[in-house]
Formats: sequence, structure tokens, C-alpha cells
Amino acid sequence: MNYQTTEAHEALRAKVRQFAESEVKPIAFLLDKENRFPREAVTKMGELGLMGLPYEKEYGGAGADVLSYAIAVEELARVDGGTGVILSAHTSLGTYPIAAFGNEEQKRKYLPDLCSGKKIGAFGLTEPNAGSDAGGTETTAELQGDYYILNGEKIFITNGGEADTYVVFAVTTPGIGTRGISAFIVEKGWEGFTFEPHYDKMGIRSSATCQLNFNNVKIPKENLLGKEGMGFRIAMSTLDGGRIGIAAQALGIAQGAYESAVEYSKERVQFGRPICQQQSIAFKIADMATKLRCARFLVYSAAELKQAHVSYGMEAAMAKMYASDIALEVCNDALQIYGGAGFMKGMEVERAYRDAKITTIYEGTNEIQRVVIASYILGKAGKASGGAAPVKQSGGETGERKKIIFKDGSAKDKVDALVSALKKDGHDFNYGIPADTPIIEAERVVSAGKGIGERENMKLIENLAKAAGAAIGSSRPVAETLQYVPLNRYVGMSGQKFKGNLYIACGISGAVQHLKGIKDAAYIVAINNNPGARIFKNCDYGIVGDVNEILPLLTEALDTGEKQPAPPMVKMKRQIPKKPAAPRKFNICLGCGHEYDPLKGDPDGEVKPGTAFKDLPEGWTCPYCGETKDAFIEIEV
Amino acid sequence: MMNCYRKVTDDLYWVGGNDRRLALFENIHPLYHGVSYNAYVLLDEKTVLFDTADWAVGRQFIENIKAVLNGRDLDYLVINHVEPDHAASLEEVLLRWPNVRMIMTPKAFTFLRNFGYPVDVDKIRQVKEGETQSFGKHEVVFVNAPMVHWPEAMVTFDKTNGVLFSADAFGSFRSLDGKLFADEFDFDREWIDDARRYYTNIVGKYGPQVQALLKKAAGLDIKYICPLHGPVWRKDLGYILDKYQHWSGYTPEEKGVMIVYASMYGNTENTAEMLAAELAERGILNTRMYDVSSTHVSYLISDLFKYSHLVLASVTYNLGIFPPMHNFLADMKALNLQNRTCAIIENGSWAIQSGKLMKEALEGMKKMTILDEGITVNSSFRDSNQPDMKALADALAADLAK
Repeated sequence: MNYQTTEAHEALRAKVRQFAESEVKPIAFLLDKENRFPREAVTKMGELGLMGLPYEKEYGGAGADVLSYAIAVEELARVDGGTGVILSAHTSLGTYPIAAFGNEEQKRKYLPDLCSGKKIGAFGLTEPNAGSDAGGTETTAELQGDYYILNGEKIFITNGGEADTYVVFAVTTPGIGTRGISAFIVEKGWEGFTFEPHYDKMGIRSSATCQLNFNNVKIPKENLLGKEGMGFRIAMSTLDGGRIGIAAQALGIAQGAYESAVEYSKERVQFGRPICQQQSIAFKIADMATKLRCARFLVYSAAELKQAHVSYGMEAAMAKMYASDIALEVCNDALQIYGGAGFMKGMEVERAYRDAKITTIYEGTNEIQRVVIASYILGKAGKASGGAAPVKQSGGETGERKKIIFKDGSAKDKVDALVSALKKDGHDFNYGIPADTPIIEAERVVSAGKGIGERENMKLIENLAKAAGAAIGSSRPVAETLQYVPLNRYVGMSGQKFKGNLYIACGISGAVQHLKGIKDAAYIVAINNNPGARIFKNCDYGIVGDVNEILPLLTEALDTGEKQPAPPMVKMKRQIPKKPAAPRKFNICLGCGHEYDPLKGDPDGEVKPGTAFKDLPEGWTCPYCGETKDAFIEIEV
Repeated sequence: MMNCYRKVTDDLYWVGGNDRRLALFENIHPLYHGVSYNAYVLLDEKTVLFDTADWAVGRQFIENIKAVLNGRDLDYLVINHVEPDHAASLEEVLLRWPNVRMIMTPKAFTFLRNFGYPVDVDKIRQVKEGETQSFGKHEVVFVNAPMVHWPEAMVTFDKTNGVLFSADAFGSFRSLDGKLFADEFDFDREWIDDARRYYTNIVGKYGPQVQALLKKAAGLDIKYICPLHGPVWRKDLGYILDKYQHWSGYTPEEKGVMIVYASMYGNTENTAEMLAAELAERGILNTRMYDVSSTHVSYLISDLFKYSHLVLASVTYNLGIFPPMHNFLADMKALNLQNRTCAIIENGSWAIQSGKLMKEALEGMKKMTILDEGITVNSSFRDSNQPDMKALADALAADLAK
């Protein structure tokens, strides 16, 4: 390792710093205050050649090294942490997987626009149940002909909504943990791909962060990155590199706060001299500078290792962990040096203090970084549960559902399509039950959630229940908090359970406890204006729309005048056929009958879950009776 | 005559014994009609004993050998299976016929020593798959039968007369009572349930290994099957081989519904009764009902190998499955039961858990299909359960009609 950067590196630093000081710094306060994405500055970064620094010139990159990229992030973060992460997420997360794992065609199609900054990249891995542990991924991609059908949601996505291409991770083979995850390139604007409003964040407010929703998004199968099942590898490899970017961002934020505090300490006079001449302040500054130098060496060294294509995972984790940990300390000290002034909005150190915090959290919390570092030193520890991740059935809380969302045409067209589907399934709306039929006995229920709005809108529910020949139910808050209906009408795990044939959920978002109360329903219909609502993942039919518009239309379409009293309910059969589990190969021992299950491996023999029988190490013997491999016969289960 | 041996075919005699005093086979499976321990003597230029017998019938066993040998020395002892219900009289044989040479697999030798029998390595021929031994007119070949149902087991085939000494394969509970051949009984009426209960509970887990053995046996011209328990087969071998194909392949013998309930105060039982009646109304008459608390699990396992459909009805107990039902599920898993269509009825008076837990237990087995239709009873069956009851009966009827 060289202990100094090259002239070229320093020239790049000067160029980026000049840009950052003149184009970003003046607006940084405003961006932060207004939660605004610096679109113009990002365009200029593209023009300056910063958006594809470490990528080959052949694909429009700058052909620079990883260290150049780290310096660029550092310099941007020095004036604005948010702008730093825009470049980092774009380069390390949005572009890298395509550059490293894409085929020639994918690289030709996507890299030039990404490297030139014409397009921005993003990366979608994190989900409500999958963050540090990617094995919990619930987003699915199902191959249907020439397309994968993507369903699910991704949260906390940097550059979300602003980016044009997204590398998204989804389960293609359920039930086998991380080996069933694949990576896809998804473009903004594809049907069914929507964004939630940006989060209101504590820091890095100039960067855009939001939730991505995928509702039957059709991905051409040529947009699969690498092969099916490679997703986890792609994600981990990408995050290894991404950590250098975040480390550089943390370094930059701390550097900016430090410089600002040093300046201030020279100007601020107390007790007749600048406070920097007080030993307590001087020592602080000495410590801050030492920490920064230490972090910088770690970051640059990791970048250098990556550039040299040698193992750098541990070093990148160390750099990310250390740089972000000290970024909090340095920003804290910088603000302390500023005293009360630093506590005021508009002060750079105040913003840096908030911006720094995220760097110990994202792209692997610092706790996970320590897990990574320790695993390089001590070997990988098995999962606490032992063996492969438990196989959890995909699908919502209410079991397999059809999940057909009507979205073609006008609201009336959607309602008509819904009604005709229900009639085709055998729901006969000439019959009806009284609105006060106990939920447990009801064949049909029209149920109101908080999305119904004002109390007067309950009239819409009553009318629809009458037209559908259904009883009236509600979610728990509607009965308990809003008190629109009596307590014995709310449906859910703690309330009444609905086991009839048709449940029409109006303005119900789908809290888990509510869904558990309708898991035995034959058909679930969801009407909600939020396409990301969980109820849509648990419905047979759905319409995304306002209850005020949809309910009257549905009422009209179902109204057959006076209903005849319904005969005793005949429970309808749910329509989703169960998928038989794919056959798997086991090997059974003729010495004792032990079944070797590749998914479980052999923990006692240090054979990792996922090891095929043929890949067992030389000399492996049955963990129970000691027979050798040739005493096993293969069976299919 | 102080003995009761029987001739199997020329030169070959059954010299075993019947035990009607044993209450629990392997100290686990109840016996109501006893069990036989079979051993066989071949009189050739050399004399050969195939396996020994349980200590319980030791005296009669020795008398039978003596009578068949009629003063000749015993030259060979072939040990196909060392489990003590067959090897227990070994030491007595060695004391009486000290010149005997023994033939067994290397693993059998290790096992015998571990059980403490005084076997001398110099007097033993350890044989591998396919090796042969001639006794004069008769030449036998040794065929490994690992995990049917112990790892050391082998079967021995006499190439001269087509006799297969099949160890525990093709064995059965029940004493022979003077008869010997399967064709001397109405096997399909008197014996099949005991034969099934023996196979499924003793060997049931090892279906793939049994299939491997059946494949090897298909290449032999078998005329007699001489197992270590139950009758000798010399006619209609296809009948018992077909049963073994079904059992070892986990294929149901019949379309039918087994309803197993766990009921504390009769409410779950009542629900199960109602289902059986609903099924009968739909023409489904091949149904069996069992109270899991009072039926030994070996009978449940045995019938489940026979029938295609299973309904489990259980009350929730300590937030779990009623223990005897839990035990049944554990035994199903242990015996590798698979390839059945199941439905679940759950009951509980506060937090109803048994259905979810039984479903998880079934999902932990292989190739189990669980119907979506099921019934959740809160303490007692009420009108509100009626649609689910009808739906379940309809679903079972439709599935049986497939």
C-alpha cells in the first residue's frame, strides 16, 4: 500500500471539490430543509464524468480506479452527505451488479446511460422482513413464458423514485432460503411498478428514499442478472463494494464537520483568546484529526484492494464500520466545539450530525459489519436455528389467493369485471342474508376499514351489504376507536372470524391480526386506494380505487332488488390449487437408515446446508453410523 | 414324538417354535395371537441350520433340531439376522454342536460380539454380497439386505431348490399353531392384518431398502419364501409380493378413509361421527374410525398403510396436540409414512391450536396432501360448523372419486 494518493487522484479531488463547493454547498441547506433531490447537480455530475468513475470506458465509464470513486463520494459528502450517497448508491449498488454480473447485452443496454448519468441506478434488497438477513426475502418473481412476474415491496430504497433502473432481488424458488433468490434489472415506468412518497428522514434529506411496490410487474426474462439462484451472491458481492462507498461518505461528512469546527474554533474568542487555544478544544481537534486519518487509510486501502481484485470483504467492512463509527464521534465533537451555535438549524455541523447517523446503519449495520469481520477471522457461524432457513410458505397470511387486480378501463369497467368474475365463480346475488347475521355464521360480509373515512360513509357500506346480500363487519379500529359498528362486528384474530364464501374488504389495509380472522374465507375481495396495502396480497380479487367511487358502482352492479332469503350456506371451494413440492433427491444410509438431506447438510461434520450429496468432502462418513458415502442409495422424495 | 418340526420340501425342515405368552413384541407392539420364531435345517452332505430362535422357545427349538439331525453332527449355521428374537439360542447351539462353522456378514459378526455371544473368529466365514457356499447337492448364494430392517441383515437363496431364506422380510405376527404354509390358512382373511401390522411397524420406515431388495429378488427363481416369523410361502407368491410393493412404495392398498380422533369429553368424537355419517350419505362406506386414546398406535400405523385418506380430529391440550395423537403423528413420521391425503378437524375451548400443529406435523412428512377443507370446533359442534362439515365431506368424496 502506498501511503499517499497519486497526483491524478488529487487532481480529481480538486475537481470534485470545486464542483461541490460551487454547485452543492450553496443549496445544501435548502435541499435538507425541503427534502429535495438535487436533480440539476446530479446531471452536472454526469457531465463531469463522475457517475461511472470505476467502470470501463468501453461501456461509457471513466476507466478510473475504485479509489477515485471513493474520493469523489468523500468530496461530495464533505459538503452534503445526501449528495454523497446519491453517487454511492448509483455507482456501487445500482451500476455495479450490472457491470459485474450482467451479460454483454445487458451491459451494452444499461451501462452507457448509467455511466454518463443520463440515468440513475438503485438497488432493491431490503424488505420489511429481510434486511440484515436476506433469507427473509418475500418479494417473488415467477417465470411465466417470456416474463418473470414480480410481486412484493422493497423499503428504504436509496434513489427510489428518482432512479431509472433498479436491481431488484426476488425469490424465484421458494422454500430453499437464500439459494432461491435471483436478481433482476427493473425499469422505472413498467406497469405495476410504483413508488410510495419519500420518507421524511432525519438526515441525508437531499437523497431520495422510498418504498418500491411491485404489483404483477412483467420483467422480460432477459433482464435476469446472472442465473436463477445467484441473487444472494450478487447482493453480497455488491454490498461488499458498496461498503467502500458508504465508508467514503462517512469519511466525507466527518471531514466537512471537522474542517468547519476547526475554522470556528479559531474565530470564536472566549476568555480573551480563540477557543482552539484551550487545551480541551485543541485535544479534541487532535483526536478528530487522528481518527479521520485512520479512517481514510482504511477506506483507501480497501479501495486499493478491490481495484487489485484481491479479497477485500473484511477490509471494506472494517472501513465502513470504523469510518461511520468515528463519523458520529467527530460530528459530535464538531458540534460541541460550536456550542449553542451548532445546535441551530442552518449550521453545517448540525446537518452533518444528522447526516452521519445513517452511515452506521445502512448497507449493513455496524453490528453486521462486526459479524462479517469476525467471520473472516473465525469462520462462519451457523444460523442460530441450525441448518437451512425454515421453509415458509410464500403467499399472504390468508394462504394462497388468486390476487387478480382489475385495472383495465374505467372504474365501472373494473367493477363490472369484478362482478362478472364473482358470478362466474358461483356467487348468486339473488340470495342474501340479513346485515346483522353473526359474522361466524355469515355467508358474505362487507367490511369497513379505516379507509372508509367519515362516519357518513358507512352508508356506502350498508348499501353495498344490502346489494351483495351480506352482513356488515369491520376492522378493529372501526369498531373500537371510531365506534361506527358495535364491538361484536369487528373481524380479526381477537374478534369474530369469518369463514363464509365472500369477504369484501373496503378501505381495509390488511393488518396481520385482521387477516388471521379471514384466512378461512373462500373468496376475499379488496377495495383500497393504496396499491401497496397488504390486503391486496391476500385477496382473490382487488380494485385499487377510492371507496367513494367504487362502492356505489359495485352496489349498483350487484343490486337485484329484494333478495330472497339464502338457503343454508354451501361452503365454496377455494380456487388456488396447491403446488406440489418439487421432488428432491435424498440419499439414505444402508448402515443405519439416516437420510442425508442436502438442504440440511451435516452440521456435525461441518457440511453446510445446501451441499449436494455428490459434493460432500472426501472422507465424509455418515454422522450416525460411520458408513462411507458408497453405502448410501439415492431416493427421490 | 417329543418334537414338532415340519418338512418344508425335500431335505429342508422347519425347526422353530410358537410363543403365545409374549404380550409385547419388541416390548412395544401388543400380540393377541402370539408369534412364531422360524428356523430351518437342511440335510445335505453337510447339515445346515438357518438362524436360531428366541430364548422363549429355546427348549423346543433344540429338540426339533436334534430330531431332524437324528444323530448327525451340525456342520454349518447360517445367521441371516442377529436380532435377539432369532440369535438368542446361539450359545446353546454352540454348546451342543461345538464343531459347527458359522456363516454371516462381517457386520453380523460385530453385532453378535457386541451382544456378548461367544463367537470365535476362526470358526466363522464372513460373506459378502453374491458369495456362494456349497453343502453338497445344495448351493446357496448370499444376498445383502441392509436395513431390512437392520444393517447386518442378509437373505440366503438356495439355487438348487429355489428356497429363499428371507430373514424378517415377509414375516408376520401370529403363531403357526401346527400349520406351516400360507396356503394352509385363509391368509387374506386371518393373517393379512397381522402381516401388515408386522411389516409396517417393524420395517415400514425402510421402504426404499425393501424396494432395493425386491429388485434383487426379481432376478431369482424363487419357489419358497422362508421368513423368520409366520408362514412359509410356496403358492401364490405374487399375492404377498404385491402387498410388499404397495407397502414399501407407500402406495395405499385401498381407497378408503381412516378417521382417527382424540376426544376428551366426546365433542370431538361426535364431530368425527358426524363426518363418518356424512361420508356414508355420500356413498363412502370404506371408512374406519379409531379412538387414538384406546387404540395401540401399531394398529393405526398398519391401517394407514392400507387406506388412502386420513382424517385427524384432535382437541387442543396444553396449547398443543392431545398427547396420544401427538404420539401417532410422531410414529407416522418415524415410520416414513407418506403419500396420503389428509384432512384436519380441530377442537379447543379457548386458544385452538391443534389444527395448525397437526398440519405442521403432516407437512413435515413426505408427499402428504392436506385438504384446504377442515373444521374448527369451539368446544362443541354447532350449526355454524355445518357448512364446513358439508364442504369437508364433499371434498373427501370428490378426492376419493378421483
